[in-house]
Amino acid sequence: MHEIQKYQPKHKIRIVTAASLFDGHDAAINVMRRIIQSTGCEVIHLGHNRSVDEVVNCAIQEDAQSIAMTSYQGGHTEYFKYMFDLLNEKGAGHIKIFAGGGGVILPDEIKELHDYGIARIYSPDDGRVMGLQGMINDLVMQSDYETVTELGNHLAVLHEKNPKTIAETITIAENHPEKLASHKLEKENKIIPVLGITGTGGAGKSSLLDELVRRYLHDFEDKTLAIISVDPSKRKTGGALLGDRIRMNSINNPRVFMRSLATRQANLALSKYVQASIDICKSAGYDMIIVETSGIGQSDTEITEHCDVSLYVMTSEYGAASQLEKIDMLDFADLVAINKFDKKGSLDALRDVRKQYKRNHNKFEVKDEDLPVYATIASQFNDPGMNNLYKAVMDSICQKTDAPLQSQTKLTTDQSKKIYVIPPERVRYLAEIVENNRRYDEWVTKQSDIAQKLYQFKGTMEMLNESKVEEK
Amino acid sequence: MQKIQDKINALEKQLAPECKELIDNWQEKEKLYQEEDYNFTVRNKTIKIKTHSESLSHSQIPKISTPRYKAWGDLLQWQLQENVPGEFPYTAGIYPFKREGEDPTRMFAGEGGPERTNKRFHYVSLGQPAKRLSTAFDSVTLYGEDPHVRPDIYGKIGNSGVSIATLDDAKKLYSGFDLCSPTTSVSMTINGPAAILLGFFMNAAVDQQCEKYIIANGLEKETQAKIEAIFSNKGMTRPSYNGELPQGNDGLGLMLLGVTGAEVLPDDIYQKIKSEAMAMVRGTVQADILKEDQAQNTCIFSTEFALRLMGDIQYYFIKNKVRNFYSVSISGYHIAEAGANPITQLALTLSNGFTYVEYYLSRGMHIDDFAPNLSFFFSNGIDPEYAVIGRVARRIWAKAIKHKYNGNERSQMLKYHIQTSGRSLHAQEIDFNDIRTTLQALYAIYDNCNSLHTNAYDEAITTPTEESVRRAMAIQLIINRELGLAKNENPLQGSFIIEEMTNLVEDAVYTEFMRINERGGVLGAMETMYQRNKIQEESLYYETLKHNGEYPIIGVNTFLSSKGSPTVIPQEVIRSTEEEKQFQITALNSFQQRNKKEAPELLQQLKQAAIDNDNIFHVLMDASKVCSLGQISNALYSVGGQYRRNM
Repeated sequence: MHEIQKYQPKHKIRIVTAASLFDGHDAAINVMRRIIQSTGCEVIHLGHNRSVDEVVNCAIQEDAQSIAMTSYQGGHTEYFKYMFDLLNEKGAGHIKIFAGGGGVILPDEIKELHDYGIARIYSPDDGRVMGLQGMINDLVMQSDYETVTELGNHLAVLHEKNPKTIAETITIAENHPEKLASHKLEKENKIIPVLGITGTGGAGKSSLLDELVRRYLHDFEDKTLAIISVDPSKRKTGGALLGDRIRMNSINNPRVFMRSLATRQANLALSKYVQASIDICKSAGYDMIIVETSGIGQSDTEITEHCDVSLYVMTSEYGAASQLEKIDMLDFADLVAINKFDKKGSLDALRDVRKQYKRNHNKFEVKDEDLPVYATIASQFNDPGMNNLYKAVMDSICQKTDAPLQSQTKLTTDQSKKIYVIPPERVRYLAEIVENNRRYDEWVTKQSDIAQKLYQFKGTMEMLNESKVEEK
Repeated sequence: MQKIQDKINALEKQLAPECKELIDNWQEKEKLYQEEDYNFTVRNKTIKIKTHSESLSHSQIPKISTPRYKAWGDLLQWQLQENVPGEFPYTAGIYPFKREGEDPTRMFAGEGGPERTNKRFHYVSLGQPAKRLSTAFDSVTLYGEDPHVRPDIYGKIGNSGVSIATLDDAKKLYSGFDLCSPTTSVSMTINGPAAILLGFFMNAAVDQQCEKYIIANGLEKETQAKIEAIFSNKGMTRPSYNGELPQGNDGLGLMLLGVTGAEVLPDDIYQKIKSEAMAMVRGTVQADILKEDQAQNTCIFSTEFALRLMGDIQYYFIKNKVRNFYSVSISGYHIAEAGANPITQLALTLSNGFTYVEYYLSRGMHIDDFAPNLSFFFSNGIDPEYAVIGRVARRIWAKAIKHKYNGNERSQMLKYHIQTSGRSLHAQEIDFNDIRTTLQALYAIYDNCNSLHTNAYDEAITTPTEESVRRAMAIQLIINRELGLAKNENPLQGSFIIEEMTNLVEDAVYTEFMRINERGGVLGAMETMYQRNKIQEESLYYETLKHNGEYPIIGVNTFLSSKGSPTVIPQEVIRSTEEEKQFQITALNSFQQRNKKEAPELLQQLKQAAIDNDNIFHVLMDASKVCSLGQISNALYSVGGQYRRNM
């Protein structure tokens, strides 16, 4: 089979990928999203078990050209028609729907869905004829258009907080910055604080962010929130995996707007358009804005230029204590979270980071507990350390910006303590089982050798006794 | 001579007494299998079994064939690593002989509403002495939600499984099967919301017994009056079974639809019936959340909370003497279906099993109180390792439970259900699939599985039809009833290659255990998605070899027909009907309406139990009487956390 050339997109293409509701089959969509990304697209991946509402809201907020889905659990006709209808209802009928479901989606159902307006359902035979890349080329080619080219009167109606308007305005900022440059964004007459979150890759930033959002929505019944999340683009292909949404359980809420941005330049931690995006969200009048970015190096402090309060998320896995001296964010961050606090060495990390913080800020007289360094286990439900951090974040915001966001919730605020499924001292159980069973096997071998020798000696003895009798 | 005698004396001292006993008693033991009958006890019942069967040629075919070893070393080694079936380390099987008159066949069903599946259960088990029912749930149920008119939910109601959202649904689903009869056993393929479905099932079983009590004591009229009064008070109509009862369904379980025994019987009587029912009910709930996170993705709660629910169920089982119900089916099937090779399937599954052991021990349960409630579920593919998967599993489990965890014999016995591999079925030349299934079934039966499901040949393309399911059943029956060698129950023992494969796979599993151990055990490895990635890699390897033809698959990538063996596309598939979907939604609405006063209070108790670290399943037994599946799931999210997806 000859290699199929990758299609080269002419525009910046953003595609939302997911598996259908109540559908855990994510192997195929995981293959597809990788190829879509390597074909130069920005992929917002939602993972498995996603409702139409979640996917549609995401596609609109992300101003995606297309949605690519798999559905293997039946109910696809209803699912995709509903998606089509909901997109249209929300004025986003331009967003194209692509899907596949192997042999589960029957030929006449494919026809029915195409007739209804679904861009393309790929059948197993399509896969065989076109190949994987061929299918993706087809999908990307059909998605190669601009969702918006003119501002229109978007700026005048930003305050209505229509996600589509905000999303399109951000797209203009990204793709046609010159068109926005000549306008002045309206500002609402209120203080809108910006929280910046950065940290090392794999520190659990998006889980931690989700846990902050969950508490915020619980804490304030009517406050709104905009989240801007930045992930790096690949220099080689121009594609990007915008992967924060998959971890976020609490964002599908009418009070939350979230937009993922690709840096579009691989060596940056922040998108050039992050400030414009913040300004657009401010103009829309959200009560608070969170900017989250993947840290790309120790000297990455750019986020502090865009936010009022900054939070640095790290884990105990930074190497020797001297490495901490190289982390610039420990100079600049208002708050530090040591996440995954159940990991080995976390207590030492807490001590070392506190020391470093004291040195950096010349705060040798402050008590350890009063330093803004927090131990968290974001992956643990209702983690007391997360409660602490949430309170500290909100307090710090109020203090620094006078924003009317005094936290009202009463949360348990003890030290983070991992509730272990397997007690730490038992964590070697599998090795112990192997040792136990191998010990048994060795014992069997030894005992069998002994038995064999015994049998041989006894046999010899018998033979000798027999010959003795004969001699007599 | 004296020197030899000294050697003998010295060696005899070194030989462990239990080994000496094994050698000394061997001849006597061997004799037991040569006599006409063999007697043994299972759970205080003596079972007498004929040791031989006769062929048409009048040959006496031994059920258990014993080794001809004479040298003590070989004899001892064999007994310590192989042994006869029913004896440690149970390599050849956990019972001395197979159960007579009961083929290890499970009847699988799940489609539409509870009524349709009930009809199907009765159809497939009609005339069978033992009712072994296996339930597949629709994806709405699998993810813990209620049926709803919202189109993305609506389309999935009753598709690829049965829709069950309330206790009434469960009562209808199993109506006409006495859930406490020793010949009935029910398995439920449910994981994320397993505890809730188990609550429905247990209450259905209890209410059946209440119903039997009511009839036996002539209380039927009085009870009907009570139920009428309850409903007229609420101003609602009683729910009913939709349609006519199928042949074989005597209506057991339907009298108390819409109410529970607790509402119509005095409390002391109800409690007595309940505790007796719990002790008798037989079955399995899959509830294996670890493999869900590793392979199948039907997680709804945070993994830690899901594990806690499992522990609560097991704790409740111990306290209420639920001895005949498996609280978990530790499953490799889905791991293999997702692409893992047989060694990885076995290693991951056993490591998950030992993780449950460690967790339950850490919660203060005794090994012998819970280990007998654990069961396993494997996939049986066509690879060589599948010839010994049961042998290796039993041997590893027995060695660890006996020597490391000091468990008793019952705890040492690993019981497993096995299903032929769905992944090895192909959508081309689908007639060939039965040949693959037959070979896999043969592996399984020779390996002494405890229960077996054979797939239908058309499963790769559609929901199996009555015709294809009948053929699949025939595969098992032909092996069990017709195939002469299968009259023998240990045909694999004594084969050089089987012994070599057993050792090889056992060793490979230990190597994998060590890899998982290096990553902090099963849960540590899961954090970095070690298991998931391993499964994906192995899947890709298989697909690559299949694609380039290095791995031959007849009628798929080689030996194609003159027409090129095209993919078979089904003309139609079984889907749930509009009427069924509407009926489910209406039934749910009236259930919720009927219980709108009681439900909030119980949901609150449920949350409080979670917060206070009380046994959630204990409260769930009551909550599942008046709350729907979705109501309970959503209440628990707020106290246990929702599952967080991984990239």
